[in-house]
Amino acid sequence: MRYFFLLAAFLLLSACATPAAQAERIDLMELRPLPRPSTTAVLPLRVAVASIISPRGTMDSYEPLLAYLGEKLDRPVELVQRRTYGEVNDLLESGGVDLAFVCTSAYVMGERDFGMQLLAAPQVKGDTVYHSLLIVPADSMAAGMADLRGGVFAFTDPISTSGRNYPIALVQQLGETPGNFFRRTFYTYSHDDAIRAVANHVADGAAVDSLVYAFAIEREPELAQQTRIIHQSPAFGIPPVVTGPQIRPQLAAELQAILLEMDKDPAGRAALTAVGIDRFVVVADAIYDSVRELETTVSR
Amino acid sequence: MPNHNSQSPIFSSPFFARFWRIAGSVSVRTKILGIVLALVLLLGVGITVQVRVVMQRALESWMEEQSVSVARDLAARATDFILVNDLFALHQLLDETQRNHPNVRYAFIADEEGHVLVHTFGDGFPEGLLTANSATAAEHHRLIRLETTEGGVWDTAVPIFEGRAGTARVGLSEAGMQAALATLTGQMLLTTVIVSAIGIAAATLLTWIVTRPILDLKRAATAVGHGDFSQHLIPWSGDEIGELAETFNVMTAELAHAEQERVERDQLRSQLLEKVITAQEDERRRIARELHDETGQSLTLLMVRLQMVNQRLDNQQCLLPDVQEQLDDARVLVAQTLDGVHNLAVELRPSVLDDLGLVAALHRYVKDYQARYPVEVDLVVVGLEERLPPAVETAAYRIVQESLTNIARHSQAQTVSILIEYRNGRVRAIIEDDGVGFDWARVKENGRLGLYGIRERAELLNGTLTIESAPGQGTSIFVEVPL
Repeated sequence: MRYFFLLAAFLLLSACATPAAQAERIDLMELRPLPRPSTTAVLPLRVAVASIISPRGTMDSYEPLLAYLGEKLDRPVELVQRRTYGEVNDLLESGGVDLAFVCTSAYVMGERDFGMQLLAAPQVKGDTVYHSLLIVPADSMAAGMADLRGGVFAFTDPISTSGRNYPIALVQQLGETPGNFFRRTFYTYSHDDAIRAVANHVADGAAVDSLVYAFAIEREPELAQQTRIIHQSPAFGIPPVVTGPQIRPQLAAELQAILLEMDKDPAGRAALTAVGIDRFVVVADAIYDSVRELETTVSR
Repeated sequence: MPNHNSQSPIFSSPFFARFWRIAGSVSVRTKILGIVLALVLLLGVGITVQVRVVMQRALESWMEEQSVSVARDLAARATDFILVNDLFALHQLLDETQRNHPNVRYAFIADEEGHVLVHTFGDGFPEGLLTANSATAAEHHRLIRLETTEGGVWDTAVPIFEGRAGTARVGLSEAGMQAALATLTGQMLLTTVIVSAIGIAAATLLTWIVTRPILDLKRAATAVGHGDFSQHLIPWSGDEIGELAETFNVMTAELAHAEQERVERDQLRSQLLEKVITAQEDERRRIARELHDETGQSLTLLMVRLQMVNQRLDNQQCLLPDVQEQLDDARVLVAQTLDGVHNLAVELRPSVLDDLGLVAALHRYVKDYQARYPVEVDLVVVGLEERLPPAVETAAYRIVQESLTNIARHSQAQTVSILIEYRNGRVRAIIEDDGVGFDWARVKENGRLGLYGIRERAELLNGTLTIESAPGQGTSIFVEVPL
């Protein structure tokens, strides 16, 4: 009987006991300050990509291009992403980034507000224009903006030409304001997410960059089946590559040269293919006049 | 049973012997309680241990899964915030993660170079935690169990955006699980205790059910042992004990029957003995009277005739010396015979006992006895002013007579003291001598009937007889007879 109780007690104790402590115990209450990240000796080239497409998509697409730039400059390149176009513009203005891929209206605003400089523009399928596409879910009956009355609409960014200004202009043409016309609106902060929002019926409609749309359906063909284009805008100047006012002119010239020569180099061509463009070309600021016009209309 | 058990080495072991000494010495009630308690405790503790072990395994597995799923979720949701450098949103995300999962002890995100971007520790960061776990870009996750000052923590590292955006780390504390386990164990042990209490109550009832007939049986058996054959058991149960009760009832009935027969036989024997004794006394009285009246008278007449013959011879002056001498001899012989007849008659049945009573008869007998034997007898009679019933007088007389005869024959006593006392409706006789005494057991073996005769006479009158004696100690005989 006594042995039995001893055995039972032993079993109980062994069940209660925690496994023997390992050599090292971490004290969760003893907090030490974190070490400051050591500043690297070589200052990286900082490249911002406006959130035309989602951050992950941006990183996937632009990594080869950035790597190419780094190789050519013999200098590390850091990709900087921000949620909104406005934040990227702020970085350009303050010199937080050296080079940026921005949206047309962001360029128009930056050029006007703090002297953003046009460096180059991509050429896609031989052209330097893009459109705003009004898309709806594939099973939607809508044939135009008028049919989206009372629906949910997805804007991409507060200062996007194709994703906000153009559809607002369409609503204004119908004699309405977006607040009255749509039941609800929201921002996706990227064009590919706007496409996904429509494809998944989160939004009844959205306006997106035609280049992003083409690029997206190429990568995810099911998006083409899930969405339908019901309207295409007139051509706008393509989103450019810009620098801030504080960049050294020599670096700006060097970067422009690398970009314009990229298509001559196999590695450069591969990097261009990854972002879906043929080459970089020099464009005149005038191609963005229609964007300026639209912005004025909308903000009026 | 022990003989049977001794064949097995287990049962003959000292351990079992000790166990049996303890187990065998306690009552059935304790045994049943012991069985129930041992069973309940064994079951309760066994199940508690088992459930605890199973629960611990299940909870650990669940914690592992939760740790991984929370970390995966955090990594997925943090990606965009990291890429767009939205540290505030990241912070919000960590706070939210910790708020939504109370088990989450900490969460933090390290960038691809291993610098902590955001964490939930507030001011500062625990030493050694950052390097305690890591996941390569190719890994889905890596789960390890960390020993901390607050107990075990399940730490999961998940690469964010294939490691390009860093690593998410989440630590789930075991404290909640341990508390749940402790609660569970406590509850189960409490249940065991409660069930034990119920078990004790049930066992007490069971014991009562089981032992009640046994206790009844014991009580009845004790009563039967004391000669009460009226016991009848109610067979409470149809089991072996019930059968035992019925068997007991049959046995008691048979015993009662046998006892009745014995009593009847005893009565018959007593009656017979009484008749024998009465007949003996009557016969003795008749013979004594015959001897006294007939033989005594004849011998007296013979004596008278011989006297007359002698006188005639004297008167006629006829000198026949031979005849004279022979006549004298005859007269002496007749006188002796007359004495012998008289003594015989007295011995057989003193008429004084019938005529004058016990006290006179005893005084006469003692006087004769002292004349015959060299023993001094001190007879004291107290409270016997009136005559007792004839049967009692006869018995008392015969007891004293038999005792004195035995003393004269065997005891070599110098003095005898006899006390006859009548008090409170009882007659007591105490006969003490200073003789050699005897060993009562040897007397029994030798089959000396004299003492039995005394006892029989006393018992026929519902009296008692006690003899105290030892070699060299003299003898005392106490007789007590109720009237």
